[in-house]
Amino acid sequence: MKKRTTNYMITLLLVLGCITVLFPLYMTIIIAFKQPAEMTNDIGGVLAFPSSWSLANFAEAIRVTDFWHSLFNSLIITVATIVLSILIHSVAGYVIGRNMMEKKSYKFLYFYIVSGMFVPFAILMMPLVKQTSEMGLDNRIGVILLYIVFYMPMNVMLYSGYLKNIPLAMEEAAEMDGASTWTAYWKVLFPMMAPMHATVAILTALGTWNDVMTPLVILSGDSGTTLPLAQLNFQTQFGTNYNLAFASYLLALIPILIFYIICQKQIINGVANGAVKG
Amino acid sequence: MKKRKSMNHKDRTFLLMILPIVAIFFLFNTLPLIRGAVYSFTNYKGYGSYDWVGIRNYIDLFTDIRVGKSYLFTFKYAVSGMILVNVISIMLALALTAKIRIKSTLRGIYFLPNILGGLIVGYIFSFIFTYIIPSIGTALNIGWMQNSILASERYAWIGVLIVGVWQAVAMNTIIYISGLQTIPAEIYEAGMIDGAGAWKTFSSLTLPMLMPFVSINLVVSTKNMLMVFDQIVSLTKGGPAQSTESISYLIYRNGMGGGQFGFQSANAVIFFIVIVAISLCQMWMTNKREEQL
Amino acid sequence: MKYKLWQKCTAAAGVLTLLCMQGCTGGPAENEKIQVELVQYKPEAVAAFEEIEHRFNEEHQNIELTISSPNEAATVLKTRFIRGDYPDIIGIGGDMDYANFLDAEMFMDISDWEGLDAIKPVYREMDKALELIPKDGVYAVPYAANCSGILYNKEMFTEHGWEIPKTWSEFIALCEQIQSEGIQPLYAGYKDTWTCYGPWNALAVGLADPDVCEDVSAGKTTFSAEYAETAEKMKLLLQYTEPNPYAYGYNDACTAFARGQSAMYVIGSFAIAQILSANPEMNIGAFTFPANEDESDNILTSGIDLQFSVMKDCENKAAVYAVLDFLNRDDIIQIYLDNQIAVSCKNSGMEIHQQLSEMKPYLDSERVSDFHDHHYPSEMSVDAMIQTYLIDTAENSAEKFLKSFDENWIRYNRDLIRRMNERKEGAEQ
Repeated sequence: MKKRTTNYMITLLLVLGCITVLFPLYMTIIIAFKQPAEMTNDIGGVLAFPSSWSLANFAEAIRVTDFWHSLFNSLIITVATIVLSILIHSVAGYVIGRNMMEKKSYKFLYFYIVSGMFVPFAILMMPLVKQTSEMGLDNRIGVILLYIVFYMPMNVMLYSGYLKNIPLAMEEAAEMDGASTWTAYWKVLFPMMAPMHATVAILTALGTWNDVMTPLVILSGDSGTTLPLAQLNFQTQFGTNYNLAFASYLLALIPILIFYIICQKQIINGVANGAVKG
Repeated sequence: MKKRKSMNHKDRTFLLMILPIVAIFFLFNTLPLIRGAVYSFTNYKGYGSYDWVGIRNYIDLFTDIRVGKSYLFTFKYAVSGMILVNVISIMLALALTAKIRIKSTLRGIYFLPNILGGLIVGYIFSFIFTYIIPSIGTALNIGWMQNSILASERYAWIGVLIVGVWQAVAMNTIIYISGLQTIPAEIYEAGMIDGAGAWKTFSSLTLPMLMPFVSINLVVSTKNMLMVFDQIVSLTKGGPAQSTESISYLIYRNGMGGGQFGFQSANAVIFFIVIVAISLCQMWMTNKREEQL
Repeated sequence: MKYKLWQKCTAAAGVLTLLCMQGCTGGPAENEKIQVELVQYKPEAVAAFEEIEHRFNEEHQNIELTISSPNEAATVLKTRFIRGDYPDIIGIGGDMDYANFLDAEMFMDISDWEGLDAIKPVYREMDKALELIPKDGVYAVPYAANCSGILYNKEMFTEHGWEIPKTWSEFIALCEQIQSEGIQPLYAGYKDTWTCYGPWNALAVGLADPDVCEDVSAGKTTFSAEYAETAEKMKLLLQYTEPNPYAYGYNDACTAFARGQSAMYVIGSFAIAQILSANPEMNIGAFTFPANEDESDNILTSGIDLQFSVMKDCENKAAVYAVLDFLNRDDIIQIYLDNQIAVSCKNSGMEIHQQLSEMKPYLDSERVSDFHDHHYPSEMSVDAMIQTYLIDTAENSAEKFLKSFDENWIRYNRDLIRRMNERKEGAEQ
């Protein structure tokens, strides 16, 4: 009864279903390697391999989109957002999670922050543009700060939810030993929330890395672009060369693809963790 | 006495920890929200001087055909998207938790769309819809495939929907998979002893156990679908014939690009209220259902 | 202890990232040169402006000019204005954005700049016509103009012995002829809605009154009356375009035309550079759109593609005028014209590009009129309305379209119309 046999039917269907995921990627790769002259409208030509696997399109795309610079910007913004989110949101989740059961004010605070999840960026966008520049934050620091605020609702919910699994006795024991609430948190609880840190890191990273709108409106001209933003700009300038465009798209996808291939298990577990424990 | 004092001390620490964070949140979330609401009562263009116009923008909103169309599109998109995403991802999750070969590779592949940026995915699909699908249609001589779906006033929204669903399924599948794994095996065994069929097992055993996850997924996917933006920019720019103009896109395009800062602020305020109302409604409904079961 | 170490590491990483960003954003400010910032809205001309910037800074020891050419510049500029972060000079088109910025009193009166006399009066009048409420003074330097008409594949025309049409019937006959030879006459690329303005402007300039927008605002006429023929002819063109024009955008259309997939393309001269980027060898010609039955009624659509305005808050007028002087030198204009295949707005009889040579008589005799869409408010999205009309196959589609044009016009220009009336009443009293 317990030992089920392998279901080959489902396996086969799932493998076939993978085509829907892999076909667009396959097209991206072959178009990125082709030359404009190879682009034809008949079906054989569309699906065929490029005549040579030359990297010329990529070299050109790196040059015209200032790839390394936007990659650097994207990395800085994403890494800083992750680190600061873990530090700040875990504290917020901890304080709120530990107090919301007894104190009305913290319960209110919880709903106040979590309801921020439903504020569409569209309504904040225009006032934020004004506000960030008044504060001299129309740069990468401003974008990072905004991300920390945007992801706060979700992350506070995750952290305070996770905290329910950690008995109060843990920090009480530390406090008995003479540690202050502050040190007890960092010494005992913060490390115990490690699985949730991973989840928060992954969810925040996926959101910030791919976000277009915030850098589009907040970053002023001279502070450069991020990788997705560079693709938006690329469209207007070099739009007649699809091969160059696709080389550029592929370049923009490669960093996160590599990251995904290396940390696939952690990413999927991290996301799953958010759903179960949150 | 001593204990009480230490409690106070602890409370103060808590307060010191949380106050700066709440202050930042207020500054960059609540304050701009309020400012946006204030601008909605002006005819501000975004620059220059402006006048107070009272509730004129709100009155206009309800008589503006274009705004009406954008709500219609956005809801059509979000409702169909929500249903499709959840149906497909429950099916995928069931398949991916069945006893199959190369399980982790398959899961890895199916999660892939979620990590790719919406804008770039949109550009890639735009090319596929414009050139590749029609050329397949021509080769196989299938009439409806010979024209780009994005060029059809009636069906372009489906093109956008395909891309939106393609990306959103991944995340929901993972959440359902983790939901399925929380269901203890004994329950299934009990069901099998009763001789229940596959559908019966699903509808009377699996689905009820999965309900909390359905409720998360419904709320999250509806909210994301309502805010659709990247796909519109990269696939249709709102066309053809303004048939795929989403609310977010209209607010961005006319609020930032056209001179309708004030008017679109009013639109954004209404949009905010609508999203909150829908989310609350959904949570209430799923909660009720969970209790019933 | 172990925890503490981990905690320290994370904190250190955070601090490091912040420090690093500080290092990157805070640039050094060692030189004492006067800084002039110019933002211009044509990203496709970035190469020309890089050269112009370089040449200027080489020649000037005390002024440093920075030119940026952002994408989506209209939005970028508006975003900067929302911020209150103004450049010194902006380069935009002679269109509604200019009209709105001017109306918001953002520009400096430059009537005392000496270079103005060299600018062709017709283009200066176009800028005057854009003033929502007439103003005293001069607020823009028209720099380069573009022309909109029909681009054609010269080789294909010679090969088949086709003639340039001079009247609407000749044009339709030519399209029929081309089609009968198995070639597609026109490429539309209407997926990007703004490309609908290509034929629309060319037709409207020939068929409707140039002051139509102002007159409608003043309640003297309606678009239903003025644009009826334009709308009708616009739809007729669909018979000669690619079968599904809403599937392809501007880039697709340029590429297709460059590859010889159509004989003609109704678009502005600004597309020539784009087309040549897809096929550098192509021999392109351009002629005025023959919208009328009488050749002498035809008018060339020509408007200001790029003009410079000085922001009101600009601190150093002398330096900014030095930049304007430099930009308006013939050899500098030429850099831009060569890069963009544009037409100079100056009187000095500069060479016209061979692709546009057939339009020269119109330009020389100033038989030109501004693009109508330069007077449409951008948030009204007239281009999308035209696209909607073209897609609409109903019998009364034209009527519906023109009616909504009239209704929307009143709606979107409500505040302006009110101000115009107040002004008129004020004048009467």
